[in-house]
Amino acid sequence: MSGIDDLLAVTGFETDEHHPHIVIDPVACRTCPSDRACVTSCPAQRYVWDEATQQMSFDHVGCLECGNCRLVCDRLFTGADGYSWNYPVRGAGVDYRQG
Amino acid sequence: MDEDVFDAIVVGGGFAGLSAAYRLATAGRSVLLIERGSTCGAKNLTGGRIYSYALRALLGERWHEAPVQREVKREVLALLTETDAVSVESTLTSADQESYTVLARPLLAWLADQAEEAGAMIVTGTTVDSLIVRDGRVRGVRADGDELEARVVIDCEGINPLLLEREGLIRRLDPHAVAVGAKYVYRFGSAREVDRIFGVRPGEGTAVLGMGAVTHGVFGGVFCYANTDSVSLGLVLDSAEWKASGRPILDTAEALREHPALGRYVDGGELIEYGAHLVYEGGYDTLPAFSGDGWLVCGDAAGLCLNRGFTIRGMDYAVLSGIAAADTVIEATQAGDALPSAQALTAYGTRLEQSMLRDFRTTRGAHDWMSSTIDLFTVYPQLAVDAMAALYHVGPEPLTPVGTTLWRAARQVKKPVRTARTLLKGVRTL
Repeated sequence: MSGIDDLLAVTGFETDEHHPHIVIDPVACRTCPSDRACVTSCPAQRYVWDEATQQMSFDHVGCLECGNCRLVCDRLFTGADGYSWNYPVRGAGVDYRQG
Repeated sequence: MDEDVFDAIVVGGGFAGLSAAYRLATAGRSVLLIERGSTCGAKNLTGGRIYSYALRALLGERWHEAPVQREVKREVLALLTETDAVSVESTLTSADQESYTVLARPLLAWLADQAEEAGAMIVTGTTVDSLIVRDGRVRGVRADGDELEARVVIDCEGINPLLLEREGLIRRLDPHAVAVGAKYVYRFGSAREVDRIFGVRPGEGTAVLGMGAVTHGVFGGVFCYANTDSVSLGLVLDSAEWKASGRPILDTAEALREHPALGRYVDGGELIEYGAHLVYEGGYDTLPAFSGDGWLVCGDAAGLCLNRGFTIRGMDYAVLSGIAAADTVIEATQAGDALPSAQALTAYGTRLEQSMLRDFRTTRGAHDWMSSTIDLFTVYPQLAVDAMAALYHVGPEPLTPVGTTLWRAARQVKKPVRTARTLLKGVRTL
């Protein structure tokens, strides 16, 4: 078994560190109406819930842009305050070499 | 009409978009294709296997030049428990040049070259932000601060149709109609090594589809394809059911390589890519409107993907829908300067109804049947494994007659009448 970091390390990315294409509100995620399904439903494990601080963290770098979080998270889908889901711009993001 | 108005703007350089652009350009229409990836294919992920009739429909006999991987000559359908498998293997010499394993990036990069040579303008690394809508009609797109106008916009933006959703032109994606897929690609030292792993003659391809305990009772399955010198291995899971299961997708994907019946296909290979993509499988009754005032929608964005369990088709429908959209636009723009009416564009839906939507009608209810027949993923694979294990078992104890062995396995089916009825329904929907 390898961790997600090992998997993403072999996959191509045009990384844009500064412009997250997906935005969440780490604190508002405390009152998640979607069972924090993003944590288990993201194939790239980009969402991590911190039980101690009661905060969600999301790292857009390494996102595979599949869109499953948008489906399982009602706030992302409906574009609730503090939440938005877009595609990266200017060619950034995942860059599949095999596909 | 202004000369800076294109006959068509195509959003997305995947199978649908490139097919539409190629067809339009070949017919002499001015077409601009905008792709958000660094190059066409950069954002695409397939399982992947393509049925060649679609490439032939687009390219004629030139489709032979397309960089596909291996011709599928061996089909394996596997019933999987946590540790065991019973597989049906079919070696089909009759299926001549019918389908090929593929990797999306090289194939789409090649298709983009064909479209450009035919005269299509392709802009990559550019994300379309929104559609331009004036007086209820789609007039073009906004991208990178620019406004670009066209007589028709062909939306091929993929499974997440953000542009159409934002304008309220398409239904909300239902998680029950969508599956999430994850795929690993392993490279081997040579094509011969891949031949040996799959036990095939040089260059012949194998497609493995499996279902069972590997998806933990959730509607879905696993796939494994022999490429030229690499192997694709992955799984597909119903998005909503998986969410309800509360299991991490990644752990389940990672477990594939530990499964004796699957891991053997990638053992010794070097991991060169991991990817994820959604798959539409809502079926006929969930499909959106295919056109409106100034726009058409093709491929994944239109939900044109069909999962029958033993075949999963999306790329061929994407190509065909791209062709149908282009032909509709070619006809509708013959009149010259006028903007094609919404009515003229409905010819696209008619074209789809007369072609691929027949398949969708034939399999109406198949998705619901498969996802509600949880025994498919739990009970039946276990039964098959138990029956075969008992048949092949030899020990010191006296022999059991074959009939008794099979009867004992079959008796484990709970509610046999209900099971028979369920299976009959399945046969009808598939």
